[in-house]
Amino acid sequence: MTPAGNAVDALPAERLAARSPFAGVPRALTIFLTAAAVLAPLGLILYQSFLTAPFFDARKTAGVEAYRFIFADPDFWTAFVNSFLLASGMTLIAVPLGALLAFVMERTDLPGKRWVEPLILVPSFVSPMVLSFGFVVAAGPVGFYTVWFSEIFGGAPWTLYTLPAMAVIAGLTHVPNVYIYASSALKSLGSDVEEAARIAGASPLRVATTVSLPLIMPSLLFAAVLVFFLGFELFGLPLVLGDPEGHLVLSTYLYKLTNKLGTPSYHLMAAVAICIVAVTFPLVLLQRRLLQNARRYATIKGKAGRMRELPLGRWKWAAAGLLYAFLFLTVIVPLSGIALRAFVTNWGIGVTIAEAFTLDNFRAVFDETTHVRAIVNTILIGTIGGAITVACYTAIGFATHRRNDGWSRFIDYLVLVPRAVPGLLAGLAFLWVFLFFPPLAPLRTTIFSMWLAYTVVWLAYGMRLISSSLLQVSTELEEGARTVGASRGRISREITLPLIRHGLVGSWLLVFMIFEREYSTGVYLLAPGTEVIGAQLVSLWQGGAIDVVAALSLINILLVGVGLALALRLGVRLRD
Amino acid sequence: MAELTVEDLHLRYGDNPILKGVALTLERGQVVSLLGPSGSGKTTLLRAVAGLEVPHQGTIRIGDKVVFDGGRRLDIPAEGRNLGLVFQSYALWPHKTVADNVGYALKLRNVPAAEIKSRVATALGELSLGHLGARYPHQLSGGQQQRVALARALVYNPPVILLDEPLSNLDAKLREEARAWLRELIVRMQLSALCVTHDQAEALAMSDRILLLNNGRIEQQGTPEQMYGQPATLFTADFMGSNNRLDGRIGDVRDGTASIEGDGWRLRGAARPGAASGAKGTAMIRLERLRLADGPGDNRLQADLSTSMYLGDKWEHLFRLGETRLRAYGDRPLSAGAHWLELPAHDVWVFAAPE
Amino acid sequence: MQKLIAVATLAAGLSLCTSAPAQTVPAGYPADYAQTVAAAKKEGKVVIYSALDTKAAQPLIKDFNALYPDIKVEYNDMNSTEMYNRFIAESASGQGSADVMWSSAMDLQVKLVDDGQALAYKSPEASKLPQWAVYKDQAYGTTYEPAVFIYNKRLVTGDEIPQDHAAFAKLINTKVDKYKGKVTTYDIEKSGVGFMFVVQDTKYFAGMKELEKGFGATQYKVYSSTGNMLEKVSSGEHLLGYNVLGSYALVRAKKDQSLGVVLPKDYTLVLSRVMFIGKQAKNPNAAKVWTDYVLSQRGQKLIGSDVELFSIRNDVDAEYTAAKLNQQLGSNVKPIPVSAEIVAYLDQTKRLAFLSDWKQALAAK
Repeated sequence: MTPAGNAVDALPAERLAARSPFAGVPRALTIFLTAAAVLAPLGLILYQSFLTAPFFDARKTAGVEAYRFIFADPDFWTAFVNSFLLASGMTLIAVPLGALLAFVMERTDLPGKRWVEPLILVPSFVSPMVLSFGFVVAAGPVGFYTVWFSEIFGGAPWTLYTLPAMAVIAGLTHVPNVYIYASSALKSLGSDVEEAARIAGASPLRVATTVSLPLIMPSLLFAAVLVFFLGFELFGLPLVLGDPEGHLVLSTYLYKLTNKLGTPSYHLMAAVAICIVAVTFPLVLLQRRLLQNARRYATIKGKAGRMRELPLGRWKWAAAGLLYAFLFLTVIVPLSGIALRAFVTNWGIGVTIAEAFTLDNFRAVFDETTHVRAIVNTILIGTIGGAITVACYTAIGFATHRRNDGWSRFIDYLVLVPRAVPGLLAGLAFLWVFLFFPPLAPLRTTIFSMWLAYTVVWLAYGMRLISSSLLQVSTELEEGARTVGASRGRISREITLPLIRHGLVGSWLLVFMIFEREYSTGVYLLAPGTEVIGAQLVSLWQGGAIDVVAALSLINILLVGVGLALALRLGVRLRD
Repeated sequence: MAELTVEDLHLRYGDNPILKGVALTLERGQVVSLLGPSGSGKTTLLRAVAGLEVPHQGTIRIGDKVVFDGGRRLDIPAEGRNLGLVFQSYALWPHKTVADNVGYALKLRNVPAAEIKSRVATALGELSLGHLGARYPHQLSGGQQQRVALARALVYNPPVILLDEPLSNLDAKLREEARAWLRELIVRMQLSALCVTHDQAEALAMSDRILLLNNGRIEQQGTPEQMYGQPATLFTADFMGSNNRLDGRIGDVRDGTASIEGDGWRLRGAARPGAASGAKGTAMIRLERLRLADGPGDNRLQADLSTSMYLGDKWEHLFRLGETRLRAYGDRPLSAGAHWLELPAHDVWVFAAPE
Repeated sequence: MQKLIAVATLAAGLSLCTSAPAQTVPAGYPADYAQTVAAAKKEGKVVIYSALDTKAAQPLIKDFNALYPDIKVEYNDMNSTEMYNRFIAESASGQGSADVMWSSAMDLQVKLVDDGQALAYKSPEASKLPQWAVYKDQAYGTTYEPAVFIYNKRLVTGDEIPQDHAAFAKLINTKVDKYKGKVTTYDIEKSGVGFMFVVQDTKYFAGMKELEKGFGATQYKVYSSTGNMLEKVSSGEHLLGYNVLGSYALVRAKKDQSLGVVLPKDYTLVLSRVMFIGKQAKNPNAAKVWTDYVLSQRGQKLIGSDVELFSIRNDVDAEYTAAKLNQQLGSNVKPIPVSAEIVAYLDQTKRLAFLSDWKQALAAK
């Protein structure tokens, strides 16, 4: 560095001119590919719903018969009402319970809460298919717990196959979704308001219900809409618990349509799909608005003052009771059910565990090439597939990072679309895409088709992960690079990317867990060669191979568990 | 030719106008401070010069090269302006070593590696950071980080460096030392610097010229002495130092002086632009210019002592005259009761009262 | 037919004596079969879509490979509806589909043949099959699987065990409390096989409406999978099963002490898995060789033993054969014919009408 007066170091010539014409190409390409991957499947579904036969059938014509048929089918309306009831019921259970648990964990001095917290989140990481199956095996009419309970008390007072029972189980298993948002919001509350209430004479429960929880109402509202929305998308749970008594919801109604008329009724399925999306898409938009509200609310209130825990006193027992009861019912019961079932040959009234113990179920799994292939594929799609997925999400993230133009807003809304389409339909749509577009055809029977469907379905989730990482990078670090002469591309590569490395690894782990537990998206894409554990479980369940289902479920849980353990070890934030 | 020329710059955020027609020039070897309260637009102006904010009207020229022209819709982005910018928070890249932080700019300019190494070493040496090249930013003290930020901005010899509140992140004690050191560095290297600061003492100490911004416009500009000693507006007078203030009515105005009187007092002082006979006015005098007197006389008034505060190197006395409060310095305590105070005419400014 | 075979056998025998010994042409086949086999070997593989799980089909595949080591078997199992969907989608998009379709959804298979999706191929083994099992020389029935009743041995005993359809209907209509929630059968909306069975039932059983009323009264539980039904009856969660696919039931009953099986005495429906070769097959010759193998004595013997289905040929000696079943049931065996009549209920209106009648009968008082 020399006194001014020496020659100024020249910047590379192209920097001095206005941006080069090729500067925008990577961004344009990213946006185009994303739009294609998202809109093509949905477009096909829409197109198919207005035909009278499968779209590849030469005899098809345009028409609204499909809609006419399903609107005239009483089963459709029953399914619709059931979906609504189920979604409402589970919201009414999950939100208060989740909020209360969040309060206990975040704001009180309950002993031992630190190591318990990951357990609360477990249901959100285990496949709903596996959980429902676990409940049947553990607490169904001839479940382990049912049988033991009957032996002691002469009968079990519960049944799983009714709509209220389904709502309870769905509510319990969705508590983590509420918990995550409620606890985040509670973290940023100062304790002064709670202490003031306590001094005025309120018990911890009253403090919770009259002070803390009302203060985080925006977050709770968002969580409520989220859970309600997830209720419409439920598939595994109603499949396992609803079918025995014929309780249909929209997703299982659609699944049933696969064969109801004897020959495939793609147009009917597409019509039902459009109806589902018509309900879920507004909910997604509503969610987005509520989330922005909740975030704004938190920043307006500002950072927390001191954060002191509320002493529970004799309420400790009630709180602990609530917590452990929840964990028992939602985590221990189903998982123990699966673990037990995986190690016995058969079960039922009059069968004892000791005499039925076996490793045969696992042998059956590993003997069968399709099952082994499913395990291998599932691992591959989670690890390598997950890494590539995170790379794609990062590329899209960069395309919208710190750019507030129309394209960024377009992408913002675009990624909401797959969120509104339940996995089941997305898989079906991708099947059609692969059938419809000849260049993609050879890829259909490879794991690529599954990977693509997964990546698109989870786009919104992944983008949130990436953007929260990107936002951690202070604007000034990037501006500093600009002032010394770095182009946007170089900044992304040399400044931003290295700084979000840890966040990317965390995202990869989360994506791994999501992919491992995925099941509905792969149902229609399942083909020899593309088996994954989740989709195969659905198919095996239909086929009644309970032993193999149990063993595979246990393997699935182990895989997710590995991911979860790694994430915890690396300190990855498990919340949004 | 000026190193930096800004003309008629207008900038708004959405519907909100931030800069309402600002102009400045910066000659080589000059330090110009942009001074003003928060919200005055000074940081925005600096960032606009850097290319990080985009005005909608006006021109910006670096040397003879136009980097922004609202009329011709010309806007060279920040990465093309070749300026140095030192952020208030330093913005050192945490994943790069000190040497890499400083050398990055040279890497971007395709300077050969060996040369980068030597130039970085020189730069670090100039700022007494020679032994810290391999450290990471989080391992440095605040002062060291600031110097790295400076080295980073200077290593590629930009014609102008921009400094955003360079001293506000330092402890009060360090600030005074840093003030001196920074000025000395800039002068020695004959740099042309544009500084943003909210602290008028800092601006007075470091600059060759000061631009005082008020609500997006330049209230007054001049040398530090001019800004301090000859404020053209009440705002300027108020901002640049600590004052006593008496509100009253302006009497006659002649020969550049004006008389002003209020409840129990009458003064004569320098008439500032806008002071009109018969209008409401405000008289201002610096705290340190108010003297204790021994008796009545011209430009003197009597006030009651409210309280005295011991400041270590002097006493500060608070007086009350009706509704008006006056402060003065002294070197000894005073007895309670009424005292005579002198406000020398050449130290008093008479302004028209603000609307 | 006999004459033809005699001539063929003679010709084959002669050709064997005189020609080069290289090709393994099974006895009784036309001489030019050797060329088919050679072409098959050149093709190198056969792609099969089948409703029979891979595990169950293993013995067949292994044995086929022993015979024809150069022809790789790409065996894909999936449920019958999926098979159908996949086949027509792939064929329509010209992407190439299965060479051989082997499904228990007889009606869907016949429909595909009617839609011109099958390759015309007269198997040399065709003559060995009952007439009703051959359709237009394009599709063949390959197994002989009865629809049976199942019951939990521990909880349903003695006279209660229904021996025919009327008894079944009577049982569930009278002992409603015992059997409430404990009677199971296929979900006819989901399971094509289940639907087909009850359609045939209406042909042979006058008291069908009674039976349906009984289902409604006992709030019967429906499933789309045989495995599920067997599991639940065995465990005691359910007590009775109706129209369960006998192949699976009988096999399980051998190992499972809790499961009992009844072949209905008044009439027993028999289902035959239908096999045909796809018209757009990429490996038509390999497909032919496979089809012939499955229909051959050797293949059928395996089907009746290791594969644990029922062989359809009468001249096969194995554990589970049509002959044995026929012996037990005599003329009360009612095989579902591989013919155009079973396609009738694929017509959507008819099917929906049937389903809504069914629902009404369930609710009858």
